[in-house]
Amino acid sequence: MINELKLKEVISNILGVSINEINDDSSPDNIEQWDSFSHLNLVMAIEAEFDIKLTPEDAMDMLSVKLIRIILEDVQEK
Amino acid sequence: MVKDTVGQLLTEIIKTPSDYSRVSREIEKDDLLDKINISYLASYTSEILNPFIIVELAKKGYKGSLYYAPFNQFEQEIHNQDSGLYLSAPSVVLVHSRIEDTHPDLIKRFAKYSDSELTNLSDEIIQRHKLMLEDLRRKSDAKIIVINFGNSQMIEEYFNSSPVIQSQQIYFQKLNNSLLDLCNKIISCYVIDYQKIFTGLGLDNCSDSKLFYMARIPFNSNAQISFGKIISRTIAATLNPTAKCIVLDLDNTLWGGVIGEEGISGIKLSDEYPGNVFKDFQRAILGLRDQGVLLAIASKNNLDDVLEVFEKHTDCLLNKSDFSSIQIHWEDKALSIKRISEQLNIGLDSIVFFDDNPVERDWVRKQLPNVKVIEVPKNEMDYLKALNESMYFDKLTITSEDKTRAIIYQQEQQRKNDLNNSVSVDDFLKELKITVKIGVSNEVTLTRIEQLINKTNQFNLTTKRYSSADIIKLIHDGGKVHWLSASDRYGDNGIVGVMILVKIEPRVWLIDSMLLSCRVIGRKIETVFLAEIMEILKSEGADFIYGRYLPTKKNVIVSDLYSKHSFELSDKENNMWKFNLNKNHIVKPNYIKVSINND
Repeated sequence: MINELKLKEVISNILGVSINEINDDSSPDNIEQWDSFSHLNLVMAIEAEFDIKLTPEDAMDMLSVKLIRIILEDVQEK
Repeated sequence: MVKDTVGQLLTEIIKTPSDYSRVSREIEKDDLLDKINISYLASYTSEILNPFIIVELAKKGYKGSLYYAPFNQFEQEIHNQDSGLYLSAPSVVLVHSRIEDTHPDLIKRFAKYSDSELTNLSDEIIQRHKLMLEDLRRKSDAKIIVINFGNSQMIEEYFNSSPVIQSQQIYFQKLNNSLLDLCNKIISCYVIDYQKIFTGLGLDNCSDSKLFYMARIPFNSNAQISFGKIISRTIAATLNPTAKCIVLDLDNTLWGGVIGEEGISGIKLSDEYPGNVFKDFQRAILGLRDQGVLLAIASKNNLDDVLEVFEKHTDCLLNKSDFSSIQIHWEDKALSIKRISEQLNIGLDSIVFFDDNPVERDWVRKQLPNVKVIEVPKNEMDYLKALNESMYFDKLTITSEDKTRAIIYQQEQQRKNDLNNSVSVDDFLKELKITVKIGVSNEVTLTRIEQLINKTNQFNLTTKRYSSADIIKLIHDGGKVHWLSASDRYGDNGIVGVMILVKIEPRVWLIDSMLLSCRVIGRKIETVFLAEIMEILKSEGADFIYGRYLPTKKNVIVSDLYSKHSFELSDKENNMWKFNLNKNHIVKPNYIKVSINND
């Protein structure tokens, strides 16, 4: 299991939105600050916080909080 | 350094990209930091560095506002006067054109090139930089920081054989040398060694192929953090005046143990641990002196004990004569530092205090808040690191005057001692055998002139600050910039005076700036300077000279300069003085020899 709060904190820090505003469905479609550039920041930050390495495909697929969690769990299991 | 909430925030541990993002967002809300506009021109996606640069700059007291030129359009931005680059009104411009991006074949297919092709390519690369940097210099007065090409070792070794790698490395080295030569010829243009960013991280640990191929970001988050630190430190160094003097404690600072207790054979100072740590620290202190930093001592000790160490201890690298001022007694250290500042004619804000004793540090901080006090770590092995990280002595260019400055101050001490013994000031000055030379600003003297204009506080009539670019513009607009150098029987002081004149009407000039280094105050050199300039102007047909005194906290010494030199008060409210060239003339002391430099 991944640390849900830690994930939300990272997203909040990178995108500059409060933790309360972040839920499973949060995505580039409903968070204005989540553009392609901050997406890269997010990928880097997640790698550093969870001490993992993501592939370009992982990075491109992480298009909502839910998807991020699924990919993280997947990577951690490997 | 930084106050309030942001200051609080910056003392927390900021390590990960997530931390950097959060803190940089807080910094954006702050309005206590000094705001500074920076433009970043790069051959890759540099914007990713933003949070790292913002946070690291804030640690140095600046709130950076960065403009990133669109990726790989930096040449167009430089050559177009209306580009975003110039609209962002930067005080600092960073330029980084990576060979990896502009000439990828030079990295991956080096062996395909003939020698003459390689020469042509390097000429072309340098020529492009020359055009860019010169045009940037013409269009903006910002400080320019160029990041060099690094070392080909930084690049993954592809399929190249080792002789190829070797010649590739030599090639890069030559390119970097040419770039450095080029930048040294451009005013206020400095170079960062790209390689430095990766030291400490390990080259294998610096890139992330994913970031590069997806977004043209050539380094991973670790390297981005390191990049942010080095860039910010360099930016701060271009903007901050360098400290002039380090005041050192002795016991447990320059040697281990207490001399008064343990005696000359008991203190730790040798080639073995732990004495070698202190010996090495002394060597680094001498390194500062080599760069022109003045050394001074503030120690609570018996003078004789200390002198014995300097004279007899074979492992003591520092000598008594290396110090420009020595305060060894049992009185308060704040008082010692004040005396040092008076003796050396330097402001308290250009003094750094280094003492292992936290009580002394605290006392000095409270008594003399302008003095820069280094938080000395407990372990002496970390002394150097603390000194280095303080950045107080970071300097981007060293002029030849800097190198001899410590020696000059020592001579000044000798002079002051002589002054105390001599009969009259005039006799003393006569004995000094002063010679001055006056000349007009040119490329060679410009750096020194800029330095004097920006650091002279005491003998300075208007305390106006100008960059080299300003000076060039001033001359271009018809102004005159004169320098004065002085030497005497103790040595050559180099350029110590500057006078800037602007024409306000036909036959009427205004002394916009006049300043003299504190090293030569009290020698009637100012009288000679004024008299000579008056003669020059008169010979060119001028009738009147105006001069203005703008009082500051530090320049009381020149408050009566104009009245002492036959100027008449013409506008009391503005402190404006007038000199009639047809009626008055200034009497020069006959013991100062003058020559005019026509180069």
